[in-house]
Amino acid sequence: MKKTLLLNYGLLIILTVTTAFLSNYTSITNVAVNLILVASAFKFIIVAFQFMELKKANAFWKVSVIFVLFLIITPILLLINNS
Amino acid sequence: MNTVKINYKNLYFPPGGILMWIIIFLELITFGMALIAFAIYGSEEPSLFHQSRLQLNSTFGAVNTVFLLTSGFFMANAVHEFKEKNLKKSSLYFKLTMLGGVLFLILKSIEYYHKIESGITIDSNTFFAFYWLLTGFHLIHVVMGLVILVWTNHGMMKNNSDTEVADVEACAAFWHMCDLIWLLLFPVLYLIF
Repeated sequence: MKKTLLLNYGLLIILTVTTAFLSNYTSITNVAVNLILVASAFKFIIVAFQFMELKKANAFWKVSVIFVLFLIITPILLLINNS
Repeated sequence: MNTVKINYKNLYFPPGGILMWIIIFLELITFGMALIAFAIYGSEEPSLFHQSRLQLNSTFGAVNTVFLLTSGFFMANAVHEFKEKNLKKSSLYFKLTMLGGVLFLILKSIEYYHKIESGITIDSNTFFAFYWLLTGFHLIHVVMGLVILVWTNHGMMKNNSDTEVADVEACAAFWHMCDLIWLLLFPVLYLIF
């Protein structure tokens, strides 16, 4: 078992529990929504770069994944903040 | 077992293979567009989406996220052990990966059962139409991923196996794709409205 994988797994679990806690035990403000979505984007990057080993890939694939994630998360953030 | 080193820095050889990554991008874009459409409807009917979101069990969603992330963690370890030529350990991690997937399916089935019992169907409202379609399509991907995991694990444990690192990585990439899609679905469906 690789230590880096274990550390990343721990971080993913902490982020998941934190976002669930934020949603359940605080009133859903725009700040909470932004935090939840940013944490989710961060989790997405950890899974892609560490678990899927994208960190070893050509820069094209790294930039493409971040770009697609940005294309999905940004409109959702804008829509939620403006509603 | 062929464990020839792959040059991942080459544009045409990302971990998992270029074809798998094309599929991953297509899936992410498809689910992403559906989530943006969901957010557009949500911004038009915020109170309906808020009331509907409260009918979802976010604890189930969070536990399912933990199941998938744990499963993904074991999958990454399975690939690592396969590369180290520890086939038995790799197979054990494959089985733990499958266990995570099966637990996800069981909890999702319980969640679906509660929804159907409460009369919440695809026709209930816009929120639940998206909920059933998005989680349903994701569920099909998880089932498909489990079939690929069983097949790959069976293939690599055979005598005179011709399973290569690239095959195991492609299998792992598909399984992690289910994680990636869920990491987008979970906050948008269960948490933010």
